[in-house]
Amino acid sequence: MAHVTSRRQFLRGTSAAVGAAVLGKAPAVLGQQVRELNVWHTEVEPQTVKTIQDTSIAEFEKKFPGFKVKQQALGWGDLNTKLLASLAAGSPPDLTHLNPFMTASLYVKSLLRPMDELIRALGENDIHEATLKLQYFDGKYYGVTHAMGATYFAERRDLRETKGIKPPDTYADMLKLAEALTESGRYALQMPGEKLYIGFVHPAEWLASNGGSWVDDKTWRPQLNGKAMLETLEYVQKLNKFQPGGWSGQKYLDTLAALATGKIAMAGLSGARTIGYIEKYAPENLRTPEAFMPLLRPHGPSGKVGISALDGENWAVFTQSKYPNEAFEFLRLFYKKEHYLSYCHSVPIHLTPIFKSMINDPAYLANERIKKWKPWHDVMVTGLKTNRFLPIGFSRPSDNALPFLAELDGSGIVADMVVEVMVSGKPPKAEADRAQKRAEELLAQLGHKRWS
Amino acid sequence: MRKRAVTGWLLLAPSLALLGGLVVFPILYNIWLSFFDKHAFLPVQTFVGLRHYRYFATDAEFWSSFRHGVVYAGATMVLQLGVGVPAALLLNEAFRGRTLLRGVVLFPYMIPTIVAVMLWKWLLNDSYGLVNYALTATGLAAVPVAWLGPDWIMTSLVITSVWQFFPFVVVTYLARLQTIPPELYEAATVDGASTWRRFLHVTLPQTAAVLFVIVLLRSIWMFTKFDTVWLLAGEGGVSRYVRTLPVYAYARSFTYLQAGMGAALAVIMFLMLLAATAVYFQMFRGEETFA
Repeated sequence: MAHVTSRRQFLRGTSAAVGAAVLGKAPAVLGQQVRELNVWHTEVEPQTVKTIQDTSIAEFEKKFPGFKVKQQALGWGDLNTKLLASLAAGSPPDLTHLNPFMTASLYVKSLLRPMDELIRALGENDIHEATLKLQYFDGKYYGVTHAMGATYFAERRDLRETKGIKPPDTYADMLKLAEALTESGRYALQMPGEKLYIGFVHPAEWLASNGGSWVDDKTWRPQLNGKAMLETLEYVQKLNKFQPGGWSGQKYLDTLAALATGKIAMAGLSGARTIGYIEKYAPENLRTPEAFMPLLRPHGPSGKVGISALDGENWAVFTQSKYPNEAFEFLRLFYKKEHYLSYCHSVPIHLTPIFKSMINDPAYLANERIKKWKPWHDVMVTGLKTNRFLPIGFSRPSDNALPFLAELDGSGIVADMVVEVMVSGKPPKAEADRAQKRAEELLAQLGHKRWS
Repeated sequence: MRKRAVTGWLLLAPSLALLGGLVVFPILYNIWLSFFDKHAFLPVQTFVGLRHYRYFATDAEFWSSFRHGVVYAGATMVLQLGVGVPAALLLNEAFRGRTLLRGVVLFPYMIPTIVAVMLWKWLLNDSYGLVNYALTATGLAAVPVAWLGPDWIMTSLVITSVWQFFPFVVVTYLARLQTIPPELYEAATVDGASTWRRFLHVTLPQTAAVLFVIVLLRSIWMFTKFDTVWLLAGEGGVSRYVRTLPVYAYARSFTYLQAGMGAALAVIMFLMLLAATAVYFQMFRGEETFA
């Protein structure tokens, strides 16, 4: 016989269950308050999130029983917006990743806490020079990079070598290579279409690789119609004919898929994350460094060496953070060797350790993916040794002092210029002049005009 | 009498408070904000009076956004009518499977915008999209069309939007069609009127008022459309080729981080909508009188 539950029985049962659930949370509900340490970061891969949870967070919560760590992984575009909104509301997270190009604007508004003590405890001399002083203002450190990941072209090495062509060193070499790799059914190259990349990350690399900079060092007057940018615009306009017609409407991840599946021979923006795509989508016999390799950026006629963007946000603690001391304690645990190794191994090579002693440590190199893709790691090490990297959005090291790079990126002024020149084939000089005028207006509106 | 008036006001108070808090206050705050140079998130602001309005009067980006908005709203509205009205006429006829088809036709309108946009981005992708595959396989195109590139992005946006929003026209128009007395058609048929004549002299006059409402509402909604435009091209390099005023206002506020300028753009759009609404009410009142 079927059991019939009356409305009264149902309500009684539900009330009891809710009551039990509330009592289960008794310490929090009945006075013994559990404090929450909010940690935001940009490593969204599920295995990375799990690693942080299982290592640093687990040990922190054991060490500080009154605390619960709440980590939130967000893509860095989302994180920037959310972070600024939280700052406006006066309730930022206790600890967060921050892009180096945003640090200066927050530092000048006295929103960041110095962390010299932590840096010394981690080993000031052991932190790689490529990252150590990115958040160094007025003799104090205001951030520490979580890990380093270089960006570069990812190429079909086998195709290039079949043609007997060396890795390109200059813009001219790159054009020759692109022409040689263009064949029926396959384009030589595809750049990512997002404004962030073609309007900020790549132009910063181009300027750095061609002896230019975003702004004049003293007056902060934009340099978008300077020689370095004009030469580059002429180069990328020529490069465009070797790309699929709709590239400007596609995204970074589309380019990785196109590379892995053989639709293009080079992806314009790539990091060690690309290995994941190759291992998943490339033909099985091509899933090796003999077929896929990174290529460092070429330099322009006015530059000496090609510069690539270094993807590496820094940890930051705000003056408004609720539990700053605990945030610093959390960072000590995060960088504890066994925790940090697990973290770096969660996306091997893409998360290269910031400690010089660890980059070639056998314990780090013992990871299976690093062993298989060792040439990719070697490119990273070579790039670091030869100063081929600058943080994302930097045209030179001193850009860390510019408090308006986030706004310049967000405005899309540079992206408009690049797309008009590359895709619509407009004259570089006219477009550069237009962008220059808009950038000057923007900086004046933001109160950063120092020129007359 | 006075006591009753007080009671009346007290009863109205919750509604007035809600209306004031949720509608009037944000509008007034936005107008106030438009007179300031204000950072979007940081506590930095300076009074600048009408400077932002003067700036936009000569801002090339503003005018190109306005033009894009007019083209987008105009093209999508005309095509929604062009597809929606015949579809409604068809669905008003009796045939087998009509009920099912009436449900299916609503599908694009029911799915979330993000899904619709992702779907069309996949279909139109020039590397692996189905549309290009069909075009090249049938010989209609020698090389894949860059639907998401600068030359075609507005067309792609219009196609996506028409597909997503034409069911609104179908449903609204069909609802009116179903209320037309069948005697009118019977009389016209007896008089020897052809199908076309019946449409022209019976259907069209009977549905003029609803068409009028559809045109105005859809024009306003498409002119202020943000999500479809943003999701299709907002963060891409091609965004400038479809940047409409709502997207430009968003960009000024949240990517340029100039909240004051974003607010000024919102006020300008508000005034445009106010003007459009005034026209709408004026003409609609005329229709009612006529009816």
